[in-house]
Amino acid sequence: MPGASGFPRRAAAIAGIGSTEFSKDSGQSTFGLAARAIKAAVTDAGLQLTDVDGLATFGTGDSVPPNVLAQGLGIRSMNYYVDQYLGGSVGLSVVGSASLAVAAGVADCVVCYRALNGRSEQRLNGQGIKAKQPWDVQYKTSTGYVVPAQEMGMAARAHMERFGTTNEDFGRLAIMCRTHASDNERAMMRTPITMDDYLASPWISEPFRRLDCCLETDGAVALVIVNADRARDLPHRSVLLQGAAWGGGVSLYTSATDLSDSPAFPIADRLFRAAGLGPADLDFAELYDCFTYTLLSQIEGYGLAEPGGVPDMLRDGAFDRSTGQLPVNTHGGLLSEGYLHGFNHVYEAVQQIRGEAEHRQVERHDTALVAGQLGYISAYSSALVLAGA
Amino acid sequence: MTSIPVPDRDSQPYWGALAEGRFLLQHCNGCGSWSWPPRPICSNCQSDDLTWSEPSGTGSIHSWVVCHRQYSSLPERLPYTIAMVRLDEGADLLLPGRLLNPEGIHQGQRVRVAPQPLSPDVGDLCWEAT
Repeated sequence: MPGASGFPRRAAAIAGIGSTEFSKDSGQSTFGLAARAIKAAVTDAGLQLTDVDGLATFGTGDSVPPNVLAQGLGIRSMNYYVDQYLGGSVGLSVVGSASLAVAAGVADCVVCYRALNGRSEQRLNGQGIKAKQPWDVQYKTSTGYVVPAQEMGMAARAHMERFGTTNEDFGRLAIMCRTHASDNERAMMRTPITMDDYLASPWISEPFRRLDCCLETDGAVALVIVNADRARDLPHRSVLLQGAAWGGGVSLYTSATDLSDSPAFPIADRLFRAAGLGPADLDFAELYDCFTYTLLSQIEGYGLAEPGGVPDMLRDGAFDRSTGQLPVNTHGGLLSEGYLHGFNHVYEAVQQIRGEAEHRQVERHDTALVAGQLGYISAYSSALVLAGA
Repeated sequence: MTSIPVPDRDSQPYWGALAEGRFLLQHCNGCGSWSWPPRPICSNCQSDDLTWSEPSGTGSIHSWVVCHRQYSSLPERLPYTIAMVRLDEGADLLLPGRLLNPEGIHQGQRVRVAPQPLSPDVGDLCWEAT
């Protein structure tokens, strides 16, 4: 009978405190309030803002989120973040979980904060104005720059300019995913497509055609997570969390890097260090393919190809399920199986590792990379390395 | 969805200037860095001593998309082109905006800012190839 084993005692401490003045009208944004209090607390602790690699907060959509604040503070490597939705009932949980993260070595210095204009601005059921749009939305709507197909298309165009990548290269990814879906009974789109089909599909957000874009899907996927000791006693082969990483650090809006650089680069490095493995140790990969280009970008970003090297590898069938050296999106992905927000990628990886993928089964199936969406505002993403026991 | 941006306390001067046909960005008095989008703290040196100033308003196109679907009430005509422009003030300043004359668009193309008023208080950031 597993029981709560307590908390790692004496493993973390509050080292600094900071505050703004308290008033009925601060005259500034919650962004500004949080920045001031955090600077004060870090100073109180005898540290620098450059020491901070985690931010944790809570609220009801009435404050500045950690990813926005991190950009403002110039935090280049975010290793831990929490934006817990709810009020006072959860306030101390972010302090507790930040302590766990520090004790475990996930992050070195996490700042917990709460900032609000509870009187002069919005507050749930409060006196002020109601909740507003996310911080970045105001910079996009008038331009008509509002959907991922546009933002990912922007990165795809930069890649085409830099490496000579073509629409046909994107088309090969769409065709590959459809081929992998063609014998997958779960897949929504199973009719094989040709390059002519791809090139005839209409423009959505050039350089993306309709067949560069994933599906819209009703459905659900659930995953049961237990500890490894417990899992050993259950019927199936254990699928262990060999490594995991989440966070970001590179902003595509304020970055000196090229838009064609994969946003996966910073997280990939941390993921493989966490897992103690490298790209060469992977047997297959299930990568977030909301668009064809994002699949290409993750193959590069996780070190499965050199930057610019994916088109040649596609022509050689390197990622094909049956014959490729590293099968990718063995179920057809978001492009052809369905859009379950990437949870279907985990489902497929588990089936493959267990050896239960039937006619989709890949030959080597012990170690898999599963990756989530590449963030396009702050490059925030998440990824797992799964391994069979 | 509404397409007129709703300014916040950090961005009001930015949108207000665009409504008047001017392009203002925050300039840090501590380290000289320029910032975008508007924010209450310099992301380079963490100073809060920022001044609204007028940059050159020129830059080069880094990437672009041609939009064949409408996702908000603006812009009204399809297709339209959004250019990601790297400002001359710094390699880390990438600003998306509608390109008013997209014929012959290419990477490295020189552009200048061309604010378009949307309301008395808010203008749109657009670009014009030069």
